[in-house]
Amino acid sequence: MHLLAQTLTIARWEVKRSLTMMRRDVLPVSIVLFILLIAVTGFAAQNGMHLEDRLYTIGVDDPVLAGVFTGDARFTVATLPVDTLLQGTGGYDLVVTRGQAVPAPTQRGRAALLTLSRDYSRYVNAVYTSQPDLFAAYPLWIDLQNVKSELDFVATQSGQQVAAAPRADRMPVPEGTVVQVSTPPAGIDIAPDQLRQQVASGSDQNDQVARYSDLLSKKGVQQQGDFKIPSQISPPLPFDSIILVFVFIFPLYFTSQFFMMSIMNERVERRGEPLLSTPVHPVAIILGKALPYLLTMFLTATVLLLLMHASLLILAALFPVILFFLASALIIGMVARSYKELSFVSIFFSTMATSYLFFPSIFANVHVVSLISPLTLIVLSMQGDGFTLADYGYSTILFYLTSLVLFYIGVVNFGEEQLFSQHRLLPRVREFIGTALSKKRPYLSLFLLNLLLIPFVFMAQMMTLVLFFNLPMPYSLVLLIITAAFIEELVKSIGLVAFLAVLPDLFTWKRLVPAAAVTALGFLVGEKLLLLVTLTQITESVFGSALFTSLQVLWMPLLLHFTGVLIVGASLKAGGKRGYIPGLVLATAVHTLYNLVLIMGWSW
Amino acid sequence: MVKPRTIYVICKKEIQSLLNERTLILAIMLQVFIALFSSFLMVGLTSMYDPAAISQYSHAEYGIGYAGNDSALRSYIDQAKDLRVFPMDLSTGLEALSERKLSAVVYVPDTRPDATDPIKVTLYTQQNDLQSAVVNIRLKEVFIAYEKELRQVRAARLTEVPIPLKFPAQTGGSDFFEFVYGLLIPLLVFMPAIISSAMIIDLITEEYEHRTLEVLLAAPVSFAEVIWGKIAACLVLVPIQAGAWMVLLQLNGIGIQHGPEILLHVTAGSCLLVLLGALTALHYRERTSAQFIFSTALVIVMLLVLAFPMNPLNLIARLSVGAIGGEHWVILTGVLAAVLLLSLLTTRYAGIITRRFIEG
Repeated sequence: MHLLAQTLTIARWEVKRSLTMMRRDVLPVSIVLFILLIAVTGFAAQNGMHLEDRLYTIGVDDPVLAGVFTGDARFTVATLPVDTLLQGTGGYDLVVTRGQAVPAPTQRGRAALLTLSRDYSRYVNAVYTSQPDLFAAYPLWIDLQNVKSELDFVATQSGQQVAAAPRADRMPVPEGTVVQVSTPPAGIDIAPDQLRQQVASGSDQNDQVARYSDLLSKKGVQQQGDFKIPSQISPPLPFDSIILVFVFIFPLYFTSQFFMMSIMNERVERRGEPLLSTPVHPVAIILGKALPYLLTMFLTATVLLLLMHASLLILAALFPVILFFLASALIIGMVARSYKELSFVSIFFSTMATSYLFFPSIFANVHVVSLISPLTLIVLSMQGDGFTLADYGYSTILFYLTSLVLFYIGVVNFGEEQLFSQHRLLPRVREFIGTALSKKRPYLSLFLLNLLLIPFVFMAQMMTLVLFFNLPMPYSLVLLIITAAFIEELVKSIGLVAFLAVLPDLFTWKRLVPAAAVTALGFLVGEKLLLLVTLTQITESVFGSALFTSLQVLWMPLLLHFTGVLIVGASLKAGGKRGYIPGLVLATAVHTLYNLVLIMGWSW
Repeated sequence: MVKPRTIYVICKKEIQSLLNERTLILAIMLQVFIALFSSFLMVGLTSMYDPAAISQYSHAEYGIGYAGNDSALRSYIDQAKDLRVFPMDLSTGLEALSERKLSAVVYVPDTRPDATDPIKVTLYTQQNDLQSAVVNIRLKEVFIAYEKELRQVRAARLTEVPIPLKFPAQTGGSDFFEFVYGLLIPLLVFMPAIISSAMIIDLITEEYEHRTLEVLLAAPVSFAEVIWGKIAACLVLVPIQAGAWMVLLQLNGIGIQHGPEILLHVTAGSCLLVLLGALTALHYRERTSAQFIFSTALVIVMLLVLAFPMNPLNLIARLSVGAIGGEHWVILTGVLAAVLLLSLLTTRYAGIITRRFIEG
């Protein structure tokens, strides 16, 4: 209760101070800017984004087609006399003469052809959708059905390559019992007009901005049933979800910047000293300072959702993101030495966070990997598909856990000594972790540290998963194994490095062995715990098995982790700072070899 | 009076401290990271959505189960590259599909090609499987061919036919081109400008917040010289970074035309942004407000500029592919005129501040 009262007091303070500290014209100016922003957004929505304008010059002899292609700003269209005969493409990137498109033999010409063919099929669709007899224009409709394959994971172990196609040289005979399925009905039970609208909205992607606004107002994505015309099968990846980043994530990130500055300002010229000398607990200070920003972010998100008539359930997906932003803002505000450093670290962080949020969501409809990002939940919810509680836990738990750990580190370091020190970035981070460790119970704190670092490891590995997921199969797997090993070894070494810096004489050669053992144990326990809680879905694919091998046997990975830590620890002890990198490389090599033998040995 | 020598000294000091703090390294790492991520993504996406690219390393045939009424679709699938039809009943097919012995199953109902009703084909694929994305693309081509045939059968019922246009067979064009030249290059090249304009605010507000301004003004330098030294430090980095990007892209086999002109545009544009940042910082003297106002204004300006054709980002895209005449010089002159105006404003503003400071 006492803590709560303190928190509220600090929160009130924070609001009052941030309002008085700003110069008087900030509020009016920001209101003017806000109105301008809305006006400009509207203007840009009408005028469109002119980023790729006039990349190609084309010549067209048919006036109707020329009109169609002029609608695409990427083309500079020249109208040629009918039935022109040109030498080659006559300097154009592409010419359309006598009902034939001919691209110049250059990269640009080929790209122009691709764009042109898309524009043409949009035009064709526009003609067909206006036909009174829809089923004469679109006689073929495809009903897409998904079948869940149960063999994903087992396949890797039985020596098959999951990504490769099943063998198709002879008639396949199922091994399991065949369950009789009734054949689907021949008719479509949706009114033709609704289908017509669906085809029209699907093909009306000429105007980029319309596409974005449709996404937000749910017009574009919602589909009646799963009936598609052939050209709508395998839709383009939803790159458009980048707009969700702009709409939801940036305002949240922006607000967290104020929290970051508020923390930083306490440190400039030791301004926060009076506050620290009061009997207010650091937890109350941090929570109290964070509370106004948390509420602002929550309100902003709510208003945005209401404006877009989207489900308020999305707030649940945004909440962990808000926490994560605040937690990282706290840490960044506490470690940065100068404004420049603050800017760079926060820009760096925001890029990482945005990529982590955005890139997986591109695959929202393709692969379960996408679920590691809460943004995917938003995409799913906006599409009208919704998400399950399991999906929610799966994509948000890492955000919750990492935020908690970051807040904890922030709280234990929120004292004069750490706040006002002028060390460089990396030593400061090391100090911060050092403070979080108990000097009386080094082994226990090493164990706990590694346990708590696991969510970060998972986040980093998820990031590499998304990154390498794009590469062709064998390379992606190998790269994934190497980076996963490196990340694990790096994180396991953090505790040791922090300890060696804080208490150099505590770790003798004799104590290195038990230290490595508890580190390995903490790491393993954390890994298994988190796996049990969440990641069953991803471990079922071959990529998952690369990241999180060895669910079955426990002593082997324990030995592996132990060896890794021991290698790094020994080379640190022997070579000091210079021994760190070689030790890390060696440990990574050992780790990689182990994983390669394990995975490749089983799967190839 | 603004002395170039003093500006040079201050500029050098600021760059030194940037290098010292290693923050610059972070900034560069950031840009590399973005480039890496986007190129990985593009490689992945092109190979995923371009079946030809995938078949380079997978020569497998995909088995397709065919159930229901016999139709022309069956022969269309069989003729397609890498697809093979296995006629079977639906239940068996679905079981085989879930055991991954087939890549897809189609079910065709008993609807005549010339019927009034549409022909509804049911396509079963594996859930959450990249491979089914590949199969889908191949089946899509098959379905489109079949759709064309059916449309021919029902042609008498159409009131209007689109103007026919023939395309040459697969030429290997991809979205890569528009992504790289239309988006990646302009953004990468302009990123240093944005970073620099954020940096100038930090450099100026820092003097206020740490109360080092008195000391500086006591030294034989004018405030305007200090500001110009900081601006110079931020500006010098822009063409270096942007140029490095272009060299890296060239090394990667992405040809960029009109390199020098692009650098000119970027430097002029970043001059504008950095000066705006400096003015904001001089006005607010406090980082939170200055950064907030500046970044909001930046978003507005960017949106506004992008809404017009011939904006700097578009000019860079067109310059880099060589699809432009001399008209970009006009824009450049306009930007430079704005820069000149803002420079005069900044120098005068710095003078006013000094006077106010001396008067108390």
